[in-house]
Amino acid sequence: MNNPTDDGNHNLRYAEYVLGVLDADTRADVAREVLASDEAATAVALWQRRLIPLADSVTEVAPAPYVWARIQHALQLDAPTRAQPPGKLWNNLPLWHWLGIGASAIAVALLVVVALPRKPPTPAATMVAYMAATIQQDNGSTGWTATVDPQHAHMVVVPATPIAFEPGRAPELWLIPAGGKPISVGMIARDRATTLILDATLVARLGPTVTLAVSVEPTEGSPTGQPTGPVIAKGALSTAPNAGGKVSSA
Amino acid sequence: MSVSSPAERDELNRLLQQSGSHDQKAFAELYKRTSSRLFGVCLRMLRDRGEAEEVLQETYTTVWRRAASFDASKASAITWLVTLSRNKAIDRLRQHREQLMDDPSRLDEMVDEQPTPAADAQTGQEYRRLQHCLDELEPQQQSSVREAFFTGATYNELATRCKVPLGTMKSWIRRSLMQLRTCLDS
Repeated sequence: MNNPTDDGNHNLRYAEYVLGVLDADTRADVAREVLASDEAATAVALWQRRLIPLADSVTEVAPAPYVWARIQHALQLDAPTRAQPPGKLWNNLPLWHWLGIGASAIAVALLVVVALPRKPPTPAATMVAYMAATIQQDNGSTGWTATVDPQHAHMVVVPATPIAFEPGRAPELWLIPAGGKPISVGMIARDRATTLILDATLVARLGPTVTLAVSVEPTEGSPTGQPTGPVIAKGALSTAPNAGGKVSSA
Repeated sequence: MSVSSPAERDELNRLLQQSGSHDQKAFAELYKRTSSRLFGVCLRMLRDRGEAEEVLQETYTTVWRRAASFDASKASAITWLVTLSRNKAIDRLRQHREQLMDDPSRLDEMVDEQPTPAADAQTGQEYRRLQHCLDELEPQQQSSVREAFFTGATYNELATRCKVPLGTMKSWIRRSLMQLRTCLDS
């Protein structure tokens, strides 16, 4: 494919790469070349400098605020300006394990944890229906436990035991409405608690007919927006018993 | 927000470099100043808000992890960022190209997006120079280059959209690229 005597056309391939007209295979070839050869990298950089300024003319569109929240959570960045910072306690895996790995135990524990740093909850606040799911693997053992706080649009997903993944693969959590297509909730950690922020569309779908599932995806997430790898665990979402608003017995 | 002024460009370079040293404040500021531009690019290519949001998220998580490899002597921060988001958007387009091709509404969306005069006034010197060189191309060729850039379509898709043979589309684009190089490098 590379004809060294045809320098002009070869260089054009870098231009075609930057412009974006190559098919997936040829793109991948050029991307590999860029990593392997300084010459290719320089040629591509030159074409980027020539062509990328075209993007100046694209109308700017402000993304919704939850995109930044998701980025912060995906990277586990501090979020000092957030009204509801997930504290150290919240992300403490041994604590979650100590509290128990059953879904309803987690849900009751959640009530305790969320109640701790605040003023005594009003009766209305304690009646909020938390939801939980035990996401089971095919062999019946618990993969993760998910607890959902719809009011604050939070979901905490805790692995029962760390699960091994091939390099470059990671678990992605999906919400599956009854009879609907899976909707990505986000990437979750295989070995520690993950706090996910749910956007309004997801919160609106929460309910007893929803299933949560975990599939194996590239570490950056499914490239298609739908599960591409095998589903390794799933479980139905149910309303957690909230003990009539009393948490002291937990 | 415009990234046209040299001061603004230097500022973005600095913010990206500081993000490379895991400076969270710099990263947040970088996001604040560049995310609308990148989201506009993703939305234009993917034509789906949810997908564009996902690609934007992937882009900035990659920015955070790879910012240390940014070299201001090779590219400006904004070029680096736009390139990263376009690459991710194109990868996604390629991965479900079939779905998109099956959707007839997409084929009717051959839009030649000429910038409005107002948008043009905000753009930088580099863009104006590129626009000047694009203006020297045949109208059909200029429109193919723009369509390719803004939609991330393959040669095949472009040929289908413009209802010309694949060979014709390839020669239009390649000739345009050679002309652009000569014009821009002169």
